[in-house]
Amino acid sequence: MSEAVIEIRNLSKIYRDFWGRKKVQAVKSLSMDVEKGEVFGLLGPNGSGKTTTLKMLLGLLFPTSGEMKILGRPASDVSKNERIGYLPEESYLYRFLNADETLDFYGRLFNMSVADRAKRADELIEMVGLGRARRRQLKEYSKGMTRRIGLAQALINDPDLVLLDEPTSGLDPLGTREMKDLIKQLKSQGKTVVLCSHQLADVQDVCDRIAVLFQGELKVLGRVDELLEVRDETLIRTPSLSAEVQAEVKAVLDKHNISDAEFTRPTADLEQLFLRTVRESGERPGRRFSTEEVAASSAASET
Amino acid sequence: MEFDINPYNFRLASQMWLQLIGLLAAISLVLSLVLAVARNGVGAGLKLFRDGLSGYLSDLANFSVRRVSALTRLTLLEAIRRRALYVFVMFAILLMFAGWFITDSNERPELQVSVHVTFLLTAISWLILPAVIFLSCWALPEDIRIRSLHTVVTKPARRLEIVVGRMAGLSIVTVIGLLVMGAIGLFWLNRRIPENAQAALECRVPQFGGLYFIDANGAPGVQGLNVGDVWAYRSHIEGNSRARAVWLFQDVDESALSPSADGDGQELLLECRFEAFRTIKGSETSIRQGISAQYTLTRNPREDAFGMLAVSEPLRPLSEALREGQYRIGANEARTLAERIRTAPDELRAGDYFALFNGAGSAATFLDTLELESLTAVSALFSAVSVSAQQAVQLLQQKENGARVEVPYEELADAVTALGDGLDEQADVMTEALPRIDVPLPSFHVAEYHDNEDDSTNLTRIPRTLQVKSPNSEMLARYLSGLLEEWNADGRLVSAGAVDAELTNELVSEMAISRLNAERLTAVLEAQLADGALVVDGDSTLKIADGSKWYSFMDRLIRAQELVSDDPDGWVVEKDLINDLLDSNGNLRVEVACMNSQMYLGMARPDLFIRKADQPFWKGYWKAILNIALMLMLVIVLGVTVSCIVKGPVALFFTLTFFLVGQFFHEFMVRKLAGVEEGMGTVESAILIAQHRNPQVGMDVSEATMSAVRAADGALEGVLWVFNAIVPDFTTFSRASAFVENRFDVPFYDVVIPAVMAFLGFMVPCVLIAGALLKFRELEAK
Ligand SMILES: Nc1ncnc2c1ncn2[C@@H]1O[C@H](COP(=O)(O)OP(=O)(O)O)[C@@H](O)[C@H]1O
Ligand SMILES: [Mg+2]
Repeated sequence: MSEAVIEIRNLSKIYRDFWGRKKVQAVKSLSMDVEKGEVFGLLGPNGSGKTTTLKMLLGLLFPTSGEMKILGRPASDVSKNERIGYLPEESYLYRFLNADETLDFYGRLFNMSVADRAKRADELIEMVGLGRARRRQLKEYSKGMTRRIGLAQALINDPDLVLLDEPTSGLDPLGTREMKDLIKQLKSQGKTVVLCSHQLADVQDVCDRIAVLFQGELKVLGRVDELLEVRDETLIRTPSLSAEVQAEVKAVLDKHNISDAEFTRPTADLEQLFLRTVRESGERPGRRFSTEEVAASSAASET
Repeated sequence: MEFDINPYNFRLASQMWLQLIGLLAAISLVLSLVLAVARNGVGAGLKLFRDGLSGYLSDLANFSVRRVSALTRLTLLEAIRRRALYVFVMFAILLMFAGWFITDSNERPELQVSVHVTFLLTAISWLILPAVIFLSCWALPEDIRIRSLHTVVTKPARRLEIVVGRMAGLSIVTVIGLLVMGAIGLFWLNRRIPENAQAALECRVPQFGGLYFIDANGAPGVQGLNVGDVWAYRSHIEGNSRARAVWLFQDVDESALSPSADGDGQELLLECRFEAFRTIKGSETSIRQGISAQYTLTRNPREDAFGMLAVSEPLRPLSEALREGQYRIGANEARTLAERIRTAPDELRAGDYFALFNGAGSAATFLDTLELESLTAVSALFSAVSVSAQQAVQLLQQKENGARVEVPYEELADAVTALGDGLDEQADVMTEALPRIDVPLPSFHVAEYHDNEDDSTNLTRIPRTLQVKSPNSEMLARYLSGLLEEWNADGRLVSAGAVDAELTNELVSEMAISRLNAERLTAVLEAQLADGALVVDGDSTLKIADGSKWYSFMDRLIRAQELVSDDPDGWVVEKDLINDLLDSNGNLRVEVACMNSQMYLGMARPDLFIRKADQPFWKGYWKAILNIALMLMLVIVLGVTVSCIVKGPVALFFTLTFFLVGQFFHEFMVRKLAGVEEGMGTVESAILIAQHRNPQVGMDVSEATMSAVRAADGALEGVLWVFNAIVPDFTTFSRASAFVENRFDVPFYDVVIPAVMAFLGFMVPCVLIAGALLKFRELEAK
């Protein structure tokens, strides 16, 4: 099933000012693939180049160098947009439209028929839970509601590939939960989802694979479960033990194996991984970490 | 403002347009290629360019009206929801307080109408204009700034479509605005214009003609007298002299006529706005009444044929004789001229020979255009004279330059002699082929701008059927000979070997001939029959005994005073304006004379026109509104285009500059480029000013500096040329308003269509450029 939906090779982006002078290099020589059907997380602290990467994929920005293919087509090809849904970092929609009009407008851009537009709008509004606010202009919406209508417009064309930039920003915990469920739902429909986030905890339980960017460089890339695996430790999980038993277990452990104990490998918190990566990068800039190294360093930091 | 504008030449305009577009396309392609290569290196640059171009072409191929209409709708909704339509409220308020701007006065009704219409149209365009410029310059940059465009361009909407959608949406808003304002305005006009001026709320439909002058000596010229004005817009004709202003109205037909004021029949309306110039104060009444002028409708092929000869003094007697139709006298004049050329060729100046070449040439050309077999001989003779004179002119010129050549005067003299002989021979043929009709109309007092005398006027109503009282002998001879020839052919003149007894009655009942005159005519015929000058041929027709034509026969009788009218009213000849007075090409000729001696009448080409049937006011009014709409739409197109690449304020600045330059300086640029506008180049002028010198003295600088300055000015001229080609001429659009404001109808083909074409001509490249600008820029709010 390894069919690449997004291929990025040596992608760089330098922002320049009006006079062509270099302001900042937002993406440095980035290479990665996103496979069909997976939920891919692009992680990194603010300003690490996630949004820039997405915008280049969408053709909003032009790369300084490097190659990209999205759905097998160059990023500058507008026809790829037929199968893409995009939720911008902050969904600035037309504030003088209401939810219905917004979805109708974007539906028209896909040349959808009246009936299709109406049906799809109903579904999406139901899905994002804006049923009661659908006739109010967006300028009256709260941040969370704006996010929801933003997601709805991203899905108007039932896209194969969904790009979500900070999908949970501005959402309350409940909303965050719903958003994550939605992403899972999309995955279950066979869609590919790429999401950017700096809110690691949110991403942890939905992403299949993640890439960590720091100052424009790819630091880590791999499956979430592998990345968070800690190899040189053993977790023993038992029912709650009294102090004496604990002492005994310790004593026993010194000597024996206990047969009904459950031995698992514990997972580290993604946040720790993240903080570590950032710290390490500060010490050794310009390096990419292997999965093994990440695991090893996580062990080191635990102790 | 001239209301007599050049006809629109669609082919020429579109040719120039295509050339310009081709040039523009080539320049932009080369420029973008160079940019791509310069930025990315040759390999990557070329690939980028190729991909960009193919991407752009595929965008064009995938252009979807449906998506555009979505964007159009969005723009409409935005304008409505963002209260852009507050402009209407301002408009309504402005109209309510119009009284502050328009002073009610007892001016002439036409002026009152003009003032109101001008106020209204100005208010409409200048109220919407700022809103339109603002909206068009701000919409896209604002979309980019708040990133709402990001969600749109990541849908299948092409950037070109976004541009078009914006333009279309804003245009629709504007058009709706104009329609509403236009309707309110029309209503307002009808209510606001005073009762007595309501009738002047109309659209006159003018037909303009060409103008030339005949001076007091009878010489034609493109200019009349200059009475000393610096701005010699009008030329003057001297009063009470042979001086005439001659208008030629082309392709006149029944459509030029209006229904008569009294209901039945048709009439021709001539409207003038001559300017009087007085060298003496004159009597009290002449000041109040204005100067008298007289129109003469003429059909005068002889003037057309031989008028040009009169340009030169020595040729004038020949010209006069031929113009009077005195061909035998003309023949003598020609021989005299030939003799002069033979014996004293140097008495005539080079200019005279040139006039002979030119005059004889135009005579030959004109005679040829009549396509009459009988005239080919004479025409060939004139042509020979022209050729020979041309040769003389050329050799004279060489001689003047120092060459030792012999001017073949002898040959020229022979050609002129031959012409003289030919004129003698062909006199009758020419008399027949070149009839002249003069219909002098009653004189009238010219209404000038300031006076309001009841009996002075600038509108003359001419009935289609013209009754010419006491016609000159030529017209009478032609009239009677034509009549008799026709009736004779029908066998109506003779019965039983004598003049028909019923002839008198028939003449009276069928023709507009009084009984006294009819009796006279019958009596003369009987006398001629008795005399033997007429004989009965067969049993029902008459024949002229000496075989001459009816015209000469009647002419002779008239000259012999045989047909002097017994009627105190004289003979009356009826002429039909369309059938009798138009020349073979359908041209109507109107001569204007000034009747007061020592007074002058000033006139320019648009000062006399045929006023066709008036159109209702609203027709011209809506055409003016349409033109305003086109102008505003062009502003929108420009604004949106500029705003694809720069931010709102900068776009605003550029668009405003374009508009102001296009509205107020375009004509100047054209004239400057054409060399009509006086003055040095910019740099040279600056130096002259700094050195306090005038253009005649020139700059006080070295040769080298001089050429550098000239080169700089040349370059500036080039910039001006480019600017001129790029900046639309906004006066194309305001022209329609000027027509309506002056109570003229707006000519559809010459004013509305050019405006439409100008709009399209700018819109198409602008859209393409705007699409490219937006496509090849990063959508990053900076
Ligand atoms: N339009 C811009 N002009 C200049 N620098 C920019 C621009 N947009 C982003 N950057 C810079 O590029 C870097 C990456 O930004 P971004 O991609 O938005 O990061 P992220 O989405 O990961 O927070 C940051 O240093 C940011 O300051
Ligand atoms: Mg971001």
